Amino acid sequence: MSLRQTTHDPRVQALILLVPALAIYAVFALYPMLNVVILSFQKWNGLDPHRQFVGLANYSAIFTRDPVFWVAFRNTVIWTLMSLVFPPMVGLLLALSLNQKIFGRNSLRAIFYLPVIIAPIAVATMWKWMYDPFFGLFSQILTSWGLQTWIKDWLGNKDIALYSVFIAYLWQTVGFSMVLFLAGLQNVSQTLVEAARIDGAGRWAVFKHVTLPALRPTITIVLVLSIISSLKAFDIVYGLTGGGPAQSTQMLALWAFTQAMQIFDFGRGAAISVVLLLITMAVVIPYLRWTQKHEETGE
Amino acid sequence: MLSFSAKLRSVSLVAMTIAGLTATQASAVDITLWTLNFDNNAANVALKKVAADFEAANPGSHIEIVQRAVDEHKTALRVAAGSNKGPDIYFSWAGLGLGGEYVKAGLSLPLDKYYTEYKWNDELLPSAAAFADLYPGGKHGTPFTFKGEAVYYNKKLFEQAGIKDEPKTYDELLAAADKLKAAGIPAFTFGGTVNWHVMRLMDVILETKCGADKHDALKSMKVDWTKEPCATDAFTEFAKWAKDYTLQPFMGIDNKQSFSLFTAGRAAMMLEGDWLVGQLDTSGANLDDYGIFPFPTNTDRLYGFAEYNYVSTKSKNPDVAAKFLDYFLSTKVQQDLLGQVSSISVNKNVQYDNLKPLQAEWLDIFKKYGKIYMNGDQAFPLDVTTEYFRVINDVASGSVEPAEAAKQLQTFIASRT
Repeated sequence: MSLRQTTHDPRVQALILLVPALAIYAVFALYPMLNVVILSFQKWNGLDPHRQFVGLANYSAIFTRDPVFWVAFRNTVIWTLMSLVFPPMVGLLLALSLNQKIFGRNSLRAIFYLPVIIAPIAVATMWKWMYDPFFGLFSQILTSWGLQTWIKDWLGNKDIALYSVFIAYLWQTVGFSMVLFLAGLQNVSQTLVEAARIDGAGRWAVFKHVTLPALRPTITIVLVLSIISSLKAFDIVYGLTGGGPAQSTQMLALWAFTQAMQIFDFGRGAAISVVLLLITMAVVIPYLRWTQKHEETGE
Repeated sequence: MLSFSAKLRSVSLVAMTIAGLTATQASAVDITLWTLNFDNNAANVALKKVAADFEAANPGSHIEIVQRAVDEHKTALRVAAGSNKGPDIYFSWAGLGLGGEYVKAGLSLPLDKYYTEYKWNDELLPSAAAFADLYPGGKHGTPFTFKGEAVYYNKKLFEQAGIKDEPKTYDELLAAADKLKAAGIPAFTFGGTVNWHVMRLMDVILETKCGADKHDALKSMKVDWTKEPCATDAFTEFAKWAKDYTLQPFMGIDNKQSFSLFTAGRAAMMLEGDWLVGQLDTSGANLDDYGIFPFPTNTDRLYGFAEYNYVSTKSKNPDVAAKFLDYFLSTKVQQDLLGQVSSISVNKNVQYDNLKPLQAEWLDIFKKYGKIYMNGDQAFPLDVTTEYFRVINDVASGSVEPAEAAKQLQTFIASRT
């Protein structure tokens, strides 16, 4: 086969086109990822010229001696579960509302989507001001309603701080789910909807038997993205509480960063990152395979 | 057309110029200083002027100042540690925490011979110079700034509560706090989200309850926190201050919000550094409304920390680096820097004119104390500092009992590898 024929082969063309992207991913994604895995078996403070191989010591330390790891683990699980329920649910409700022919719906769509494009750290700053127990928006509103006793130390009370942070996160991310659901709703066959209505189906029945099944691919995407986004929750927590009070809002991603970049124990930071990676894969891969299987079989 | 001799003269001139340039380059010495990009821009400007003046006084030398934000600076130092490149002089905090880590890693050059050669101890405030002796293997670094921390109080609120004199002992401070409480005024304000703010209260109580030697032994982890009753007493006392004498809620606010509450008269006292004088001044507060006194620990030590400049072991020109530090520490330069880098100089020969009353009080405090005890986050290694923060916050929020706090901290210290 001549060179000309070879370069005309679509598979070769695809490879040629892929090479630059692959090279960049190899250098900036695959190599660092591999390096993190290697680092998780080493002790290194970033200052010593040599990294010391310590086997599973970093994993043993985070699992058995780190007083914060399991708090961060529990918080990450709670956060992920809340992320699986609330942003998709609220996003779907918003999408269903804004899919109706109501006045100003395009403006409303833009308004609800707006928080998504704000930097998370700016969102954190904004919500920090609103949560200020002395001068913040919520405290002022409650005071003006005569409900001073309802004022809480929103970010300083260990029992509620995580949920306070999550509300800010929900406000920021719900627009993204809404847009995906809106896109999905455009693919719902109007013929099927009308046919169902002719057959006497009510609004709930149409939603349950026509709209929801048609949204299944969108729901998969929204849930997978929600899981990934929640497992790597970092900036909004960092900006609002820094993991406090007393590490009660600490998350695995933030704790990995703290270990590596603030305590400069890169080995433990890497070990936490690897654990987080494994959890992400353990959750996302089976779910993707399950949904793929269902889509293929058309169930 | 040029004659042969004219051509020869021209060629000679060019050759001499090239030779001259080459010679200049060969003797030129570049010194790189890595430091912070200070919030106070006057300090940034002043540093550049010091470098320019040094260059003018030492032809052929060039001082390059590289400034970064705090976290970027720390990261850059770590990256540099693994390579042959890096600064000749670097900024860091003094103490066994951050600064000590770099010393331990062999990045800081012992400066004993330069301390002798330039007689730095004859010029430096003893309390500021004392940090250079904290490390094994010689003197490390020279002072950049020295920060003292004391109690700022609102005179009107003290008067309102019937407190006539500044507390001189810990018991008097407790009595003052009780009077304030009876008058419905929270004694202190703290910001809990920045862990180091509340930590100050624990540090000063630990000094009070344990005394200087035991406090140092606890912070250097040479004694067991569970076996020293004073440590548990300190946690107990700290919990009491947090619960009874601190403006609530405080765990969800930061030091800036706490400062706003202090200037708004919502609490009577703040445990802050000497830099707060400038902060009060720029916020428009009337400085005459405030007074200061060192937290009465019943020891003769001042609470504070220092920022230092260290010479790197990788510097190819340590002599010039030391010469620059000597220039920086000289009385003339320090006199010029007064009020720009810090309100109090690390040079004891600097003269102070037109000081504001609070600044004059600070100067008296600095002159009075020859010994210091450091902030916990400067004294502990980084991982222990993080755990110290967690334990303190848990005690402050009432979710951990004082005895359990000492146990948790000791368990963490004992499990370090």
